[in-house]
Amino acid sequence: MPVVNLSLLLPEFLVAALAFAVFAADLFMRPRQRNVLSVVSAVGLVAIGVFTYWFLQGKSESLYNGVLKIDNYSLFFKVFFLAMGVMIVIASASFVKQYLSHPGEYYGILLFSVVGMMLMSGAGELLTAYISLELLSFSLYIMASYARDNPKSNEAGIKYVLLGALSSAILLYGISMIYGATGTTTFSDIAAALRNLDAVNPRLLIGMALVLAGLGFKLAAVPFHMWAPDVYEGAPLPVTAYIAIGSKVAAFALMLRLFGEAFLPAIDQWRMLVAILAALTMSVGNLVALAQTNMKRLLAYSSIAHVGYLLIGIAALSPMASTGLMFYLVGYSATNMLLFAAVIAFYNKEPRDDISALAGLADRSPFLAGAMAAALFSLSGLPFFAGFIVKFYLFSAATHEGLLWLAGLAIFNSLVSLYYYLMIIKQMYINQSPDKTPIRVSGGMAALVIALVIAVFVIGLYPAPFVDVIESATRTIFPATMMASY
Amino acid sequence: MPQEYAINYGAVVLAAIVGLMAVLFMFLTNYLLAPRRSSAIKGLPFECGVPAAPFTWSQINIRYYIFAILFLVFDVEAVFLFPWVIIYLKSAPIVFYEMLVFLAILLFGLLYGWKKGMLEWQ
Repeated sequence: MPVVNLSLLLPEFLVAALAFAVFAADLFMRPRQRNVLSVVSAVGLVAIGVFTYWFLQGKSESLYNGVLKIDNYSLFFKVFFLAMGVMIVIASASFVKQYLSHPGEYYGILLFSVVGMMLMSGAGELLTAYISLELLSFSLYIMASYARDNPKSNEAGIKYVLLGALSSAILLYGISMIYGATGTTTFSDIAAALRNLDAVNPRLLIGMALVLAGLGFKLAAVPFHMWAPDVYEGAPLPVTAYIAIGSKVAAFALMLRLFGEAFLPAIDQWRMLVAILAALTMSVGNLVALAQTNMKRLLAYSSIAHVGYLLIGIAALSPMASTGLMFYLVGYSATNMLLFAAVIAFYNKEPRDDISALAGLADRSPFLAGAMAAALFSLSGLPFFAGFIVKFYLFSAATHEGLLWLAGLAIFNSLVSLYYYLMIIKQMYINQSPDKTPIRVSGGMAALVIALVIAVFVIGLYPAPFVDVIESATRTIFPATMMASY
Repeated sequence: MPQEYAINYGAVVLAAIVGLMAVLFMFLTNYLLAPRRSSAIKGLPFECGVPAAPFTWSQINIRYYIFAILFLVFDVEAVFLFPWVIIYLKSAPIVFYEMLVFLAILLFGLLYGWKKGMLEWQ
């Protein structure tokens, strides 16, 4: 058996080592000092991010016969996840200090979940993918119930763990079906088996459908979304942000590689299923979001709707759609992170999460109100913001693959979503509140919000550099023959 | 080949017989030596050594679960150690050190729990 070049996994090892260092430091620090660990985690993640980019650039190898892949695709997502981890740590810092106990374990578990996400983007085999997904999920179960004295947070944790266990069971059952039908779990061998079959047998179809359902639970795609609003509402705000952004991007990183490298030859069999899932998810998410009065629940339904748009990228699977999907993930993450950062900054001063609490925010903090308005415009997909250009890429890829009806439905849904996003803006700018005390934003949060506002505009106005990087990532998961026509 | 097969199974059969004998011996010794005094509490179903709870909804001390998790961690460790013991001498040195890293991580977990007071029963 050949010895594997484990040094290629250095980024993951370093993040895990950072997590252990945070846990160990937590043991020997006095409770009041422990909030310093947020700085340690953020700085460590930045350093590892820079190192990863430098170290893995241009490397293309697969470890353990294709179980883990080190390529441009995983490099893109690894740097993406590390950056996201940094932002979540910054957004958590004052929130954790004010509302949560045990900061050391909070940041340690957060770092473990980043390892899980990084492995998900590199997994080239179903069981490895499953185990890295569980590493992420277990961390999120704990983090969702982190506000221990808050019954809602406990409820969120219990619901999340139960539904998570159910979805894992479904996913594993699907994996076993696929293994039974093809005799392998590595993506490339599954693709080869699919190409050699004259007709796709029902066992394989059931397996793929079950895997789709299992991942659908993790993504909160309709009809597997019931857990999402309650978990989002109960979890502490930075954790809600993390579930809404991190877990979705990671699940799509896994799904895109799985469908691109393994299930692509049988696309005619599952395309309609995914398309219907996408249509249902975006429609239900947007329509139910219209009726929400709680900010966290509204963001939950809005993120369900965005999962619907993102699923179009899987339904229209092609190099163009893959680029569109990854670009959408970038735009969605930056925008949603901006919105959550602003909401957290507000919550740190005034712990209320109903939408009416935002009344008169434009007077109390023009900075936060402006940032939130930019994020909301971007989420609804108005031009000049990131949200427009990413939707443009993704939807035009869908029309290219003949899914015109789906792209049309998505555009109609974007219009619906504009209504409830504008309602928040109306609260902030038109409604008045009796309380006129200005809201001060702490330095770290202000820097994060400003950086994200800039990012949202840069992605919207000058997307070329992002698209170039993403195209080189797309190139590694599709066969060369498909890239020629791209 | 079939001969080797038979020898391997011979070992299994031998272990089964010895195991059965050992258990029978223990029961027999117990039967012969133990004093027999019955009382109400001895008739209760056995639940980890504590008196059975009167209600199904009674609260159970969280420490049971913490100990169970700790036990499970080291149980699973053993599952990984057995195959490793068989192959590590024949494999590259890295296989040996990888397992040491694994053990170090588990040891860290135990020390962490210890320092946090997980092992105290109050």
